[in-house]
Amino acid sequence: MSNIGWKDVLTDDMPVDLAHEIDIFEGQMELMGQGKLDEKVFAETRLRRGVYGQRYDNGQRHDGFESRELEFEELDRIKGPDTLWHAPGMQRIKVPGGGLSPEQLDVLAQVADEYSDGILHITTRQDIQLHFVHIEDTPDMMRRLAAVGITTREACGNSVRNVTCCHLSGVCRTEVFDATPYSEAFAQFLLGHDDVQDFGRKFKPAFSGCESEACGLVMMHDIGYLAQVKEVDGKLKRGFKVFVGGGLGTVPHQAKVLSEFTSEEEMLPLVQAVARVFARLGEKRNRNRARIKFLVAKLGIDEFRRLVEEERKTLPHDDRWTAYLDTLPQYEEKPAKPPTFLNGQVRSTEFNQWFETNVYSQRQEGYSVVTVNLPLGDLTSKQTWELADVARKYVGDNVRATVEQNIVLRWVSDSDLPSLYEDLKAIGLGDPGAGTIVDITACPGTDTCKLGIASSRGLAGELRTRLTAKSASLPDAIKDLKIKISGCFNSCGQHHVSDIGFFGNSRRSGNFKMPHFQVVLGGRWRDNAGSYGLAVGAVPSKTVPEVVDIITNRYIDERAKGETFQDWIGRIGKKEARGMIQPFMQLPAFEQEPDYFSDWGDPRVFSLGDIGIGECAGEVVSLFSMEISPAESEAFEAQIALDENDPARADALAYSSMLKAARALVRTQFLDVGDSPDRIVEEFKTRFFDTELFFDQYAKGKFGQYLLDRHQNPNPNPDNDSAHRLIEEALLFIEATHACESKVGGNVLVEI
Amino acid sequence: MITPHRLSVKFYFEELSVDAEAFIPVFHRWIRENVVPNELLLDVADYKHILDGPAILLVGHEADYVIDFTDGKPGLLYVRKQDLGADLSNALDTTLSQALNGVKLTESDVELQGKLKLRTDGATIVLLDRLNYPNAASNGDSVDTAASAEAHLSDSLAALFGSDATVARVDNDAREPLTFELRAPSAPDVDTLLSQLGTGN
Repeated sequence: MSNIGWKDVLTDDMPVDLAHEIDIFEGQMELMGQGKLDEKVFAETRLRRGVYGQRYDNGQRHDGFESRELEFEELDRIKGPDTLWHAPGMQRIKVPGGGLSPEQLDVLAQVADEYSDGILHITTRQDIQLHFVHIEDTPDMMRRLAAVGITTREACGNSVRNVTCCHLSGVCRTEVFDATPYSEAFAQFLLGHDDVQDFGRKFKPAFSGCESEACGLVMMHDIGYLAQVKEVDGKLKRGFKVFVGGGLGTVPHQAKVLSEFTSEEEMLPLVQAVARVFARLGEKRNRNRARIKFLVAKLGIDEFRRLVEEERKTLPHDDRWTAYLDTLPQYEEKPAKPPTFLNGQVRSTEFNQWFETNVYSQRQEGYSVVTVNLPLGDLTSKQTWELADVARKYVGDNVRATVEQNIVLRWVSDSDLPSLYEDLKAIGLGDPGAGTIVDITACPGTDTCKLGIASSRGLAGELRTRLTAKSASLPDAIKDLKIKISGCFNSCGQHHVSDIGFFGNSRRSGNFKMPHFQVVLGGRWRDNAGSYGLAVGAVPSKTVPEVVDIITNRYIDERAKGETFQDWIGRIGKKEARGMIQPFMQLPAFEQEPDYFSDWGDPRVFSLGDIGIGECAGEVVSLFSMEISPAESEAFEAQIALDENDPARADALAYSSMLKAARALVRTQFLDVGDSPDRIVEEFKTRFFDTELFFDQYAKGKFGQYLLDRHQNPNPNPDNDSAHRLIEEALLFIEATHACESKVGGNVLVEI
Repeated sequence: MITPHRLSVKFYFEELSVDAEAFIPVFHRWIRENVVPNELLLDVADYKHILDGPAILLVGHEADYVIDFTDGKPGLLYVRKQDLGADLSNALDTTLSQALNGVKLTESDVELQGKLKLRTDGATIVLLDRLNYPNAASNGDSVDTAASAEAHLSDSLAALFGSDATVARVDNDAREPLTFELRAPSAPDVDTLLSQLGTGN
């Protein structure tokens, strides 16, 4: 018994190619253990198997007082740069289109309790993540998943990530046609394809069936497909409007239209041509400029399109481009039960509340989609196989994960809704409020992410608790608002496309750092992530629930009939919006509000590394703090100028705000720098950029480069897009200035 | 018998008058003060938003300590993940002694003292290893494995918890890991149990 492993037991159940890939990975693990593989090569290798790093895997952890070494065994053994072999990590599991069967749920539940902490986390891209996984366990985990048709290949790394698809595709009342089989063909075609192995960064695709709904979010993806039907030679042809170069991240880009209509026959060759252009011309050395959005912005969409069209002509023919079309007529979802109606059944108040928010009536009469509202996207192993049984009972294989970190059960026969509700409630998954203000999206943040600055999940949990407690009395006007939270500027929580978004950062008060969240207002979830919000200011993390109350109450009081949140924010302007949160931007001293200096769900004194010491406490602020403030104001003025459709002024103000921030930083070392832009930039470059003091641990010199680029190459004719981008860059530059000053430690104090 | 991939023991609360959230600062302090011998403690995970689940986890390299509300039964769950020993007996000894040490630490913690009590007259033991210890209901090897494991646990635990201690296999879903319930009406207190395991003060 002891010599038999999962590899032996599952040999006949795994697809041969998947089994072989996993064996190769296991071999690479052994080579790494013997020191025969380069650490960077192995890091990318494991990332392309979905084996990701996790917070503290460099062996350091701040305990609230000091950074301490975590004494793992074999401290010299690593699995990548600065990543200890024995430190637990995260396993990301690709789920194309979020589609899951009960059998797959069973196995996911089992690997979660044997290899992680027994919690399955649904991500904002329909993946599943397991945390605290030891790398030695990953090959067997992959084998067990492969045996039920799941691969982790290219779940991370510089590759084509999970292909997302609207969770309502096929049952949606407004879609043009079901994009699901196309997204599946796309995912299958690109998985491991030769032309997607040499990207400088990741590449995220998305599919959507209709333009006005949010579900597919095509506008914020590297490549996005929007279902279209076009009459060609008197016949209706299926195809897609194709978008390219969208993305959130530190500087969000709206995708540009690559093609108004690409036929289903051309869908795969087109993406292959895009992949080749991206691999050939995309940035490779500077990873901060390596996403395809930067290439599209640099070339311009017209030139990018021309290059793709030229590339398309050179592609050698591949039968797979159209082979999938033969399978489309056979593609169908099979409901587990015949259609029925809910009429006449006695409904409890609880059921009605749940029905109102969690049930979507399908286009197919007699069927509904039920959303299982997962708090923070989490469910336990036990809940997972219980949910698998619920799925077997009511819907069969028709289960999908969503980009709002929930799970939907499709094709529920309507008369089953009351009993389904009772079954979900019995396993702790009967929460109402799906898609409403209580259904908050949050990335892992400081819980497990190496890049997290503030506790996005802690804040989301707190807001969910508070809003749920008063959900019965919440006015209709705010019930459907979206709140989305990221732990840092990288936008994994998709804060840019929510009504009220937050991303984590920090500020210093006296000798201590305080967790903060930037407030981002007015993003548009609908219209496939139709527009992005802008930051209006940072508030202490512990004040965010009150900030949400202030903003929503004012919206309730002032909104015109039928006025959306975005329209209201647009009407009052960002100056007024900032005014709402201004009272929360005054930072108390540690002695006044010690609770402000720890994060939600984490009692440790907040830190980004080491806590600053040595400065006078009490009624003093640093010169830097005094001088950075005008820079922040100017960046804000730039946003208002953009609102007023004055991109030239917005551009000038954004640039000026960066100069002010740089000057404030330079003056912590060199008081007589003067006001000349050339001199400020020169001193900034010499003292902070060239010395890498300004560098972020992960973003490196990216934020400093924003100033250098703008100073060297001013845009003679800024338009709204470029001004918007420069404002985003200015905000990030200012954030980085704060971080640098905290790291270096200002030493010039001014009494006030 | 072969060492299981993971082994867990859950002791149940007799009294619990604090919210799950109260364990968060306690566990952070345990990490800072390195209170658990022979284990590397890493972080605290907050899952209290999940109904009847593992509310608060003290995540370690070798083991996790969980304030667990699964099935509505609050308890301290200890999950041994690494360094279990050479066989099932070693794994059981290691897991029990560290779990009982966790019980003692929890009951005597300066912030929790008097607010909770764990009972030693019963526990749930789980072999998290579906390859070597399948929880199949059908006839065949898996049933023999489960029966052998049950007999093994019965002998080991009776020696520790008293001759009237019984171990019974839980008739749970085949997808769940192989699970046993310990009942020990005359179980000694934690210190005595730790002493018998050779790890007491």
